[in-house]
Amino acid sequence: MASTPKFLWEDRFAKTAILFSFVLLALGSLFGLVQALSRMPGALEALGLKNVITPQLYYTGLTLHGVANAILFTAFFIMGLAVFVVTRDLGINLHGPLLCLACLLAVGGTLVAAVPILLGQATVLYTFYPPLNANVLFYLGLAVVVVASWIFAAVVLYGIYKWRRQNPGKEVPLGVWGVFTTIMIWLFATPPLAYEVLFLLVPMSLAGIPVDVLEARLWFWYFGHPLVYFWLLPAVTLWYVLLPRVLGVEIFSKTMAKVAFILYMIFSTPVGLHHQYVDPGVHPVFKYLHATLTYLVAVPSFLTAFNLIATLERAGRARGGKGLFGWVTALPWFKDPVFTGLAISIIVFGTGGFSGVINASFQVNYVVHNTMWIPGHFHTTVGTGAALSFLTASLLLIPLLFGRQILSIGAVKVAFVLWFIGIMIFSVGGYISGLAGEPRRTYAPPYLNGIQLTGVYLLDLMKSAATAAMSGALIFWTGGAILLATLFFSVFFGKRVAFSGEVKLSPEPGPATRLDNLKLWIVIGIVLILIAYSLPAVEVYSQGLSPAPPQPP
Amino acid sequence: MTIHREEKIWAFFVLGMVVVFLAALAYAAWGLGLVTPYTVQQVPAEKALEVLKPGVDCINPNVKKVVDNVVVCEDGRYYVNLIAMRFSWLPPNIILTSPKEVKFRITSTDVIHGFEIAGTNVNVMVFPGYIAEITWKVPANMPAGKYLILCNEYCGAGHQNMYTVLEIRK
Repeated sequence: MASTPKFLWEDRFAKTAILFSFVLLALGSLFGLVQALSRMPGALEALGLKNVITPQLYYTGLTLHGVANAILFTAFFIMGLAVFVVTRDLGINLHGPLLCLACLLAVGGTLVAAVPILLGQATVLYTFYPPLNANVLFYLGLAVVVVASWIFAAVVLYGIYKWRRQNPGKEVPLGVWGVFTTIMIWLFATPPLAYEVLFLLVPMSLAGIPVDVLEARLWFWYFGHPLVYFWLLPAVTLWYVLLPRVLGVEIFSKTMAKVAFILYMIFSTPVGLHHQYVDPGVHPVFKYLHATLTYLVAVPSFLTAFNLIATLERAGRARGGKGLFGWVTALPWFKDPVFTGLAISIIVFGTGGFSGVINASFQVNYVVHNTMWIPGHFHTTVGTGAALSFLTASLLLIPLLFGRQILSIGAVKVAFVLWFIGIMIFSVGGYISGLAGEPRRTYAPPYLNGIQLTGVYLLDLMKSAATAAMSGALIFWTGGAILLATLFFSVFFGKRVAFSGEVKLSPEPGPATRLDNLKLWIVIGIVLILIAYSLPAVEVYSQGLSPAPPQPP
Repeated sequence: MTIHREEKIWAFFVLGMVVVFLAALAYAAWGLGLVTPYTVQQVPAEKALEVLKPGVDCINPNVKKVVDNVVVCEDGRYYVNLIAMRFSWLPPNIILTSPKEVKFRITSTDVIHGFEIAGTNVNVMVFPGYIAEITWKVPANMPAGKYLILCNEYCGAGHQNMYTVLEIRK
């Protein structure tokens, strides 16, 4: 009986959201396997799967993989985690019925969107670029999920607001800083997405109204980049809050952690044009402005890296680690699974940070844009930095929230090793084959899987790197499957555990500082967005639109 | 609100790095002329094939020769008009002889495509409704041979078949 009656509604919400997120991750990842197999030159033929894994299955599965893993798994897990953190850190109740409504709408919207995807009527991938056209239920289902997330955001923000009024002069606990900035990023990011979906895509799908590609992409990517920080910030929160907890030390610098959260919040939205560097029709100066802001949003990641490593050093030295690197080996590698999972997430995310800076580098982007480099990059960031942190945190959430023990810590450790080895092979292989030109999001291309082309520049390198990357993907996938299955079954079959007393995540909050002036940061964030987006918006609209009629995929 | 001395040093180091990187990018863009794609001309998607005739031509018509049906520009400066159409590129085969500067004008008749020449700097989104123009400064040491042209943006069930070969002759 872990759920204290005090948080009855809140814990029901958190449990439903987290369990549903596991189901979505399992479903979406299943199709990750399909993609890996289709990209191994010869594998389809050799395994006799050529007639099973068809292009239709591949692209339908790819849509599902993106929607389920990247958008829905993350969103549901983050909502559950946020409620857990806020209730435990602030000791407050949230509006139960509204949380319930948000949960029902989010699950309902997901199911509505899932139907056309599974029927193959929404094979538009999770970026759904018009004029590719999907069944209107796909757009409406996603819109309902967004509305649900707004209700959820309002409930949590109101809870934080009330706590602040009752506790003037107290600083916001660190975990709540993470929740607050995550939700603010989501609220900054989603209104233009709602505009794109409701005013451009739904009319396109229902009435065949043509859509201007540049306009749609401008607002999609306005949303698309803060989305990745919406994934990342909860992971960063877990690193800042859980690592010191499990290692029994204080975080090196609470102040700089807050500074990092603020910088993430204000710089993560006005950067979307860095996904459009190779789009014609957007002025290079505006793209360069977004490149500048993108570099600035790398600053909090560098600050976080410093802060976390300093915290780890503190923990290593407290365990008797000596010398320049002795503290590294003194850390509880493989003794403490939570530490190990988070540490692997941080290391892999670090490698993805470097490829991310390359992606961000303006014209350098055209050697990697839309190549396998990009999946190589984001499977280290959202695919590991965020996802593995979430699953690792579940090692604590399952006892604390569901009142169950983890079935097998040994299986979890094996999964960590496979995941780490697999993702490193996958990402480095992806970087290399991407530089050789291999496109992303493409079913077994004939030049990769066949033998029609000979003597083409870089093709041999592309083939061998693709094979290496995809064998890495299989290892990574196996590790993920073991980890997810262990967690999922622990929720139902783990030994029951009971906790007495309160659970606290963040360090005890001290007096408020100048940094706790949340309103100021929100205003600065909005001003930056207005500056960065008014310029390209004026450009796109002032040259007049050139809409293109919808096309089935 | 304590900030450790080491953290201040690190923060200034990171900011310095950001400034250096951004300066390098700006220099590459406006000093060396490696700017991201920009120029567009609007065209109704369904009229793209009438407005933009696919094929190879010379920027300077006075140096144009046709050898065995292949356009050769003696100054190495080419125009290439390209149409992306599910699931092929028009013209299907492109041969460039000793190219130095190639202006691609490119659009789509249906959905978004991605035009990429594997292993080069050429990578641009292809939009229905817009003709993009990009200039490729061909490196002097680029070996003659075959290069893969492919579509790198998902465009439908036959996306994987949308590729062709560019031949560079010297």
